[in-house]
Amino acid sequence: MFTSIIFILILFGATVIFCRKVRKITWSIKLGKDITINDNVLLRWKRVLFIAIGQQKILQRPIAALLHIFVYAGFIIVNIEMCEILIDGVAGTHRLFSFFGGFYGIMVSIFEFFAVTVMFGCAVFLIRRNILRIKRFWNKEMTLWPRSDANIILITELLLMSAILIMNATDSILQTRPDSHYVQVGSFMISSIIQPIFSGLPFSSLIIIERFCWWFHIIGVLVFLNYIPYSKHFHVFLSFPNVYYSKLRPAGEMANMPSITKEVKIMLEENYSDQDDDNEEVTFGAKTIRDLTWKHLMDAYTCTECGRCTSSCPANITGKKLSPRKIVMDTRDNLEEIADKLFNRKSSEKDNEKNKRTLFDFISAEELWACTTCNACTYECPVNIDPLAIILEMRRYLVLEESAAPGPLNNTFSNIENNGAPWQFSHEDRMEWAKEFMEKQKINVPVMADLFAKGEKSEYLFWVGSAGAFDDRYKNVTRAFVKILTHLGVSYAVLGTEESSTGDVARRAGNEMLFQMQAMMNIEILNGYEVKKIITCDPHAFNTFKNEYPQYNGNYQVIHHTQFLRDQIEAGNLKIKSAIFNEKTITYHDPCYLGRANGEYAAPRKVLDFIPSEKKEMKRNKSNALCCGAGGGQMFKEAEKGDKEIFIERTEEALDTGADIIATACPYCMTMITDGIKYKDKVEEVKNYDIAEIVILSLGI
Amino acid sequence: MRIFVCLGNVPDTTTKVTFTENNSVFNNTGVQWIINPWDELALTRAMELKEDTGSLVEKVTVITVGTKSAEPTIRKALAIGADDAIRIDAEPTDAYAVAAKLADVLKDEDFGFVMCGIESCDYNGFAVGGMLSEFLNLPSVSAVSGIEVEGEKVSVSRTIDGGKEIMSIDTPFVAIVQKGISIEPRIPAMRGIMMARKKPLNVVEASNAEILTNHKSFELPQPKPPCKMIDPENVKELFDLLQKEAKVI
Repeated sequence: MFTSIIFILILFGATVIFCRKVRKITWSIKLGKDITINDNVLLRWKRVLFIAIGQQKILQRPIAALLHIFVYAGFIIVNIEMCEILIDGVAGTHRLFSFFGGFYGIMVSIFEFFAVTVMFGCAVFLIRRNILRIKRFWNKEMTLWPRSDANIILITELLLMSAILIMNATDSILQTRPDSHYVQVGSFMISSIIQPIFSGLPFSSLIIIERFCWWFHIIGVLVFLNYIPYSKHFHVFLSFPNVYYSKLRPAGEMANMPSITKEVKIMLEENYSDQDDDNEEVTFGAKTIRDLTWKHLMDAYTCTECGRCTSSCPANITGKKLSPRKIVMDTRDNLEEIADKLFNRKSSEKDNEKNKRTLFDFISAEELWACTTCNACTYECPVNIDPLAIILEMRRYLVLEESAAPGPLNNTFSNIENNGAPWQFSHEDRMEWAKEFMEKQKINVPVMADLFAKGEKSEYLFWVGSAGAFDDRYKNVTRAFVKILTHLGVSYAVLGTEESSTGDVARRAGNEMLFQMQAMMNIEILNGYEVKKIITCDPHAFNTFKNEYPQYNGNYQVIHHTQFLRDQIEAGNLKIKSAIFNEKTITYHDPCYLGRANGEYAAPRKVLDFIPSEKKEMKRNKSNALCCGAGGGQMFKEAEKGDKEIFIERTEEALDTGADIIATACPYCMTMITDGIKYKDKVEEVKNYDIAEIVILSLGI
Repeated sequence: MRIFVCLGNVPDTTTKVTFTENNSVFNNTGVQWIINPWDELALTRAMELKEDTGSLVEKVTVITVGTKSAEPTIRKALAIGADDAIRIDAEPTDAYAVAAKLADVLKDEDFGFVMCGIESCDYNGFAVGGMLSEFLNLPSVSAVSGIEVEGEKVSVSRTIDGGKEIMSIDTPFVAIVQKGISIEPRIPAMRGIMMARKKPLNVVEASNAEILTNHKSFELPQPKPPCKMIDPENVKELFDLLQKEAKVI
């Protein structure tokens, strides 16, 4: 009776403290900007089932996955035993479920088996962290506390599981002793193995050990329960809602900023009526945790610091300061700090605004500007945390509020604004790539405006892109693709001098204002010509048209040239005749904005399958492919300080395959890989071709 | 202390320059207009001085001679951070007329100094700043590549052959600035763009200054001849071509 009261008091106290902490975390998460996520309920539940419950994304690293499943599944199953312990504790009974008879013994044996798998998992995890010192657990942000936190969790779990086993072992011995009140349920599978250790002990010692383990386990569990919300281990609860609320749209799509849309409309539309000043209160981008959405903050609390994001981050791999995990951890630390002050009402919010530290006290501009927006981190995260979104919101703040972009990016912005291309080229030169070509090859490149003047329309718009029009190397790709279009007799046209930057670079470099101006001007032109289908060789344009222009009423069917080429070859319209690559080995580099951002890994590979040649994959390919290093504005700025340039790392990996040809499908990738080949002094041996160039060479036209 | 920054509204540097009326008038159809890069750097320095708590600069005003079509460029200067703007409503013709019109407005204003870009990237006349100081009867320093304001004291520096010249100067004066006055032009922040809509842009009538020069005609540079490729082994051919064809050695 007395122990029951003590037990109930402890249980009640632990539950109350836990609930209070959870309430505070919920309250902290709600400090973020309000957004509504209530679409696609079924799909969201499906993702919870597969990604959170089914651990789908963890499986990409099989060893860690297996060990994690040991601990995860084990922990859930062992906790079923908690029901009995709780009831026993409250009611003052002992092994209440033993009325199940023989089945009880089987159940407890199964629990014991899983207790051992948990212990095995924890032990290996401890070895990986502390003895093998796997790199991702020792990055800079893994300071003493995060490292200790992990060890505390693992050791606690080991101790809790040991307590169960020792308790069961001593219990089984006690059952056989005369005068014991212990219910006769027999020995259990695992604990019977350790029984001999205790078999010689006197009756009283056994009772003390058995009772101690029982109390140690239950109090340990309750203490651990209250430790979890202070620790990275909170992911055991938050992974589920976090996956439920995670982004469903393609990874390449950036969140829209309606506050900027309003400003752009005021600027572009003279009669725009909504001129009131509600934007004065708005912060553009994120400076403090209050400028992030509650989903970003939930991300921060969900992170269990596994470091998969960081270990796949091209910037981090090449020694730059950026670590996506640190971004998420810093967000959480800043949030905790601010939430503590606000929650305890030590200071009013106004007062707090002045003294409190912002995200920028934790995260430096250098880290933010090292990101290539390649989406490796968001792809890797087992619980769908989006560190990239936080990076981009902070870049937006730097550019829109502080105009603090790196100098070369400011020049890029000015170029896009003044001449519609990231480089200083006149828009009137946008057809220069075609001039000589049209004369020599007797090819006519139809221009939309000319067709329209004649009252004609084309089925496709071919979006040449700034690189396609101005980059000397890449012009060749444009010409190759146009030759294929002509060869096929496809009804297409280009915009010519009316084309202007899609704004992809501007948006990813934080200049949302410039991006939206470009988007709205382009959409006006595209819709003016009633464009329905767009083909482009540039994955960045592809992503922007497909995923981002719909934010402003620009709805088109967008086709990447590799998809178009695949369809045409499969339909038998393009016959590969020449065996020019017969003796060659080709390796294909996935552009981030075609691959991870839009899930297109198959089309370019399918095209290459039709080319008689040897194909070899790089070590990191498809969803794990390493970025070329040029995305997210990097193309137009100096790389941040690090040990190595990303393009060199990637080129080396491509060269390691022994390939004669590195195939690319993106203008930025082409620049980077071509530079990489030059840097590695392999110009003679290894060539970099776009998929379109490989096709045209194989067509022999 | 108030600073005036003179702004030129010039075609973007990537503009394809063409002429009309028998090659005597610049064809401005479809041209994107920008702040003259030298003036933009002057404005950037003016903003830095205003933000520097150690200087007494309190207000930056941009002033330009131009028609209504120059207003987007002026708004951009306001977005970058100028406090207000004056547009002298006239077509900027030759340097003399522009300087006279500027002087006519500035003579009634109170200021520490006026900053002018040393040249504009359209006609590259190098003249307005010097003429302006004459009209205003003020001292001027040309090719200034640095300005410091400490309290009321202003010092300017000039890059000279093999070194740097630093001098102090009494206000008011005209600073004719060279590149180097600031490192990189600023891009406007959102707050600036929003505020620029509300900042005062005063349009004043232009005085009747004489136009002393008129454009007779323009000539475009000859298109570059095609590039000749020579085999790296063939030094003799390179030598011959440089000597006989290019006549440079």
